[in-house]
Amino acid sequence: MQLADLPSRRTEAWKWSDLRAAMAGQETTLIGTGPVGGDGPIAAFAELMGDAYGPSARIVEAPGDTLEIRMTEGDAGQYGSVVVRAGATAVMIERASVSGSSQRSIMPTYSRIEVEPGATLHRVVVQANDVAAGAADAAIVLNEAVVKLAAGATFRQFVLSEGSKLARIEVSVDAGEGAQIELNGVYLASAKRHVDLTSRVVHGAPGVKTQQLVRGVARKGGRGVFQGKFLVKRAGQKADASMQHNALLLEEGAEIFAKPELEIYADDVACAHGNTAGQIDEDAIFYLRQRGIPHAEAQAMITRAFLIEALPQWMGEALRAEIEARIDGWLGTPA
Amino acid sequence: MLEITNLRARVVPEDGQSSGNVAREILKGLSLAVPAGEVHAVMGPNGSGKSTLSYVLTGKHGYEVTDGTAMFEGEDLLALAPEIRAAKGLFLSFQYPMEIAGVPVMTFVRAAMNSQRKTRGEAEVSAPEFLKLSKVAAAKLRIDPEMLKRPLNVGFSGGEKKRLEIYQMLMLEPRFMILDETDSGLDIDALKVVAEGVNALRGPGRGMLVITHYQRLLDYIKPDRVHILSAGRILKSGGPELALELEKSGYDQFLKGG
Repeated sequence: MQLADLPSRRTEAWKWSDLRAAMAGQETTLIGTGPVGGDGPIAAFAELMGDAYGPSARIVEAPGDTLEIRMTEGDAGQYGSVVVRAGATAVMIERASVSGSSQRSIMPTYSRIEVEPGATLHRVVVQANDVAAGAADAAIVLNEAVVKLAAGATFRQFVLSEGSKLARIEVSVDAGEGAQIELNGVYLASAKRHVDLTSRVVHGAPGVKTQQLVRGVARKGGRGVFQGKFLVKRAGQKADASMQHNALLLEEGAEIFAKPELEIYADDVACAHGNTAGQIDEDAIFYLRQRGIPHAEAQAMITRAFLIEALPQWMGEALRAEIEARIDGWLGTPA
Repeated sequence: MLEITNLRARVVPEDGQSSGNVAREILKGLSLAVPAGEVHAVMGPNGSGKSTLSYVLTGKHGYEVTDGTAMFEGEDLLALAPEIRAAKGLFLSFQYPMEIAGVPVMTFVRAAMNSQRKTRGEAEVSAPEFLKLSKVAAAKLRIDPEMLKRPLNVGFSGGEKKRLEIYQMLMLEPRFMILDETDSGLDIDALKVVAEGVNALRGPGRGMLVITHYQRLLDYIKPDRVHILSAGRILKSGGPELALELEKSGYDQFLKGG
């Protein structure tokens, strides 16, 4: 693999997350790796640099099974597959934590997931960044999941991403008949952080229901990217799909890039999407200040409420508390 | 308690967007004094500067004071940040209360109460103490306690929002209250309930400015003094009978004289 093989801003799917530019100067990492294959660069990195995160496939048969994957800088990449057997329920938690402790820059994870008929998978990805605010880090976090849902399967996902030099959390879902999908997320992009949440859902069979709510914030020098695509094939009749992405630019010099896409070939569908990026309403801040709440706290309170709305009900209490604590930490509000 | 002298203020155009006009002057030399323990009404037609007065006193962005003073208990109010004015006891019941998604009413009011206490160097309110206060205030205003768990003003009717403003007022126990068109959006029964709540806060150490278009509210919140505001100035001041006179013969008689 060479630098030139990596996607750059000239590659449509990576135009706001220039992996080639981020990797420049780190060419030695590429020595000994093979070519980028058909599954794309994240699979190539994860497979060639890493270990499988279990046997060839992790099979979940018992209900309530939890699979946890942790990674920090310097760890091997992770590559593996998960199968949730018919009727089973599983939880998958992936944590990629950037601490600035190592110059080893790439943290790749690639998962193939299969959810069998009537089975349910809840997946939570927490990409944390504990490098001091405003300081640069070298980490490139790449996480991709390719999910195949059988008839009547349920897949619910929540992603929290605090970014890094470049962080991309990508998911693509191929849904079977009557499958239920939820793809929520929160991203927090402070100075020198790049966060990219990219998703694609293929509604290739009838009666698929998809809900997506992503909320993000960026400060000066931070960049948030949201790319969402719903493809409804001719066979995807009765699809019921809703995509929402809302972002707040907290300071001048913050950047948000968004590309919501609906591509629909079926004629009997209910698809909606909404995309906004703006600033906090100053009138709302004044209302809080008139009641005695200082400006910074008023802003944090409104921002927190805005983000928390994307946290799903199904997430367990401990995870919810962990994510709320990360949001509070980022906003600088005492918990 | 509150002393406004020759106040002049104008609307500042949104940054970077010059409307082409000179900034519009709204308050044109307004003078008004409310001694402690009194309730004063400010009445005036649309566009006379009633809401601007409430916003300038509470420190909203977008207004610029070009002349005059506003003193609160001998302190220059205009030099203070809005949250400091609030901690000193200034409360505005908004004409159009903001909807704040995701923040439950009680969470918000408790945060506000504790912020004010912190600014004043007082101890935080404990959870049981807060709940007790909230229960009493809600009962007084006949507010369903379930409503206090919902996000602030989101999906509330106009009347509910106004009731919630007075609930916040009872909870925060301000020393000086400005009620901006509190009667709008209220039916007569709600108006009575709200007025009772407001009257409960009348007292020797407190002052109140009731800004209203109509006399109706003043049947329930009886003012000590009435001021007629027009084109950014007080045209006439008098006792409660002035409001009745206005109701009978309208603003025109005063405006012509002015």
